[in-house]
Amino acid sequence: MTHKFTVLIIEDEKNILTFVSKVLKKHEYKVLCADTGKEALSLIGSQCPDIILLDLGLPDIDGSSIIREVRAWSSTPIIVISARSAEKEKVAALDLGADDYITKPFGTSELLARIRTSLRHSNRLYTESSLYIRPYQCGSMLLDFSKRILTIDGEEIHLTPIEYKIVAYLAQNSGKVITYAAILSNVWGPYADSDNKILRVNMANIRRKLEKDPAQPQYIYTEVGVGYRMKEDEFDITSSPSAE
Amino acid sequence: MKNLLKNLGTTLMFLAVSSVLSFLFFHLGNKNPANIALFYILALILIALNTDGYVYGICASIFCVAAVNIFFTYPFFKMDFTLDGYPVTFLVMLAVSIITSTTTTRIKKQKEILDERERKLAETEKERIRANLLRAVSHDLRTPLTSIIGSSASCMEDYETLADEEKLELITNINEDAGWLLNMVENLLTVTRIQDDSGKVKKSPEVVEEVISEAITRMRKRNPDIKIHVSMPQDFLMVPMDATLIEQVLINLLENACVHSQSVKPVDLTVASEEDFVCFKIRDYGIGLDEMQLPYIFEGKYTCNTVDSYRGIGIGLSICKTIITAHSGTITASNHENGAEFTFTLPKEREYEYDA
Repeated sequence: MTHKFTVLIIEDEKNILTFVSKVLKKHEYKVLCADTGKEALSLIGSQCPDIILLDLGLPDIDGSSIIREVRAWSSTPIIVISARSAEKEKVAALDLGADDYITKPFGTSELLARIRTSLRHSNRLYTESSLYIRPYQCGSMLLDFSKRILTIDGEEIHLTPIEYKIVAYLAQNSGKVITYAAILSNVWGPYADSDNKILRVNMANIRRKLEKDPAQPQYIYTEVGVGYRMKEDEFDITSSPSAE
Repeated sequence: MKNLLKNLGTTLMFLAVSSVLSFLFFHLGNKNPANIALFYILALILIALNTDGYVYGICASIFCVAAVNIFFTYPFFKMDFTLDGYPVTFLVMLAVSIITSTTTTRIKKQKEILDERERKLAETEKERIRANLLRAVSHDLRTPLTSIIGSSASCMEDYETLADEEKLELITNINEDAGWLLNMVENLLTVTRIQDDSGKVKKSPEVVEEVISEAITRMRKRNPDIKIHVSMPQDFLMVPMDATLIEQVLINLLENACVHSQSVKPVDLTVASEEDFVCFKIRDYGIGLDEMQLPYIFEGKYTCNTVDSYRGIGIGLSICKTIITAHSGTITASNHENGAEFTFTLPKEREYEYDA
């Protein structure tokens, strides 16, 4: 018997709701739909979905207050669907506890990839055994967390301690967007200066060490105004959610 | 209310200052009331210049006459209307304040009228640009919409009779046109980010390579197999800009170079850092630009003489121009021996310079 993941879609635009739920059903997810915030909150409470897709612009409740309310008692992954191109709003949603965001219009493959990534990261919480510390691998890059060594094509890349911390943090969250603020507080501590210039200088140096062409990166992508996203760990892509 | 307080304040301040000066002058030995009256006349002129309307000036002149009479002419601290020439002093002071008030009021009114006229002119100019843009846009939007509506309708109506390949073709068309529409709308949205009143943008320092990489990533979403060759200086380079807008410029120019040059060779994007500005050069190796249209290329009228004329690049280029101008940069287009070349610059600002 295959266990299906339950996805709750909160979206007031009916056509988008139809299209997303069709795609997800095709890919072996169980789909719940809500077109108002109130309905969504009661569904989250009663059905406990495995992942939530949330449109920020709902008719009755502000999207961010839904994130706040859910985060008060649950760590269920939330992917924000945002029609607005305003970076500030995305950052605000991420800082409130949303796991990732996807901007309208989005393709089906992009949506499925985001859902997979978020599910994978949420499941990691339950498997905190030391065995789970396995290297990050993507293309020819290998990052061994226990030895703190990064290699590309078998060749060791020398990183400064700060650079290693940044890359390791991104690799642990590979596939997910990580805001500047999250990296700053994780690497430099909670009292770090909110000016992200130091991070961006470090990032530029990392890029020069890792990428063949820094303007067309293969491993670490920039989401301008929001943060960075490291390419998804290839180890997990092979195990699709339906196979579990 | 605030205005009233301000006027009252100015009046009282000038009167107080002139009174203090007069008393000092008087106590230092000069007992000539004519000299002291001069202080008050100066105060009157300043009051009339710095307040609105006549009332303050007239009140001040009455005060001045009274003050000179009471404090500085014998008998001191007593009103004495029998002094010689008293009506003359009063009239002169009144006249001074009224004339000055009239002149300043008139000047102020004229300035207001001029400002108003200028604002109206600027507004009509803005309206005209907006109307032109709207006209061009609605024309450009209607064509792909016609195709989308037509294709989807025929798909629904003849669902049974159409072969699978035909359906697929129609749906592919819909998808393509929708993608084109999205590009258009994104272009238009960027324009709204340029602040209306000042025509300037909100700048923040951005890493050049990050902006370029995001532009290329976004463009690959729609055209996965385009080839771009980027060369840029090794140094860490930060330039103040609105990243979303500059991304749009890069996307527009790179996409033109890839799609309209009718060439499969990779497009070159070169970034060079000069003393005061950063220079971006996009060079393709295709058919080049129409020399005849070159001078008007950024005015939103350039059209390709290829078959699919609605996929013109006019609006995209005029939006590039708007964005770069709002950044106080320059943008130029030219042909080189093997194709077309677009160059734009963004000014560096001293305070943003960073020694990495």
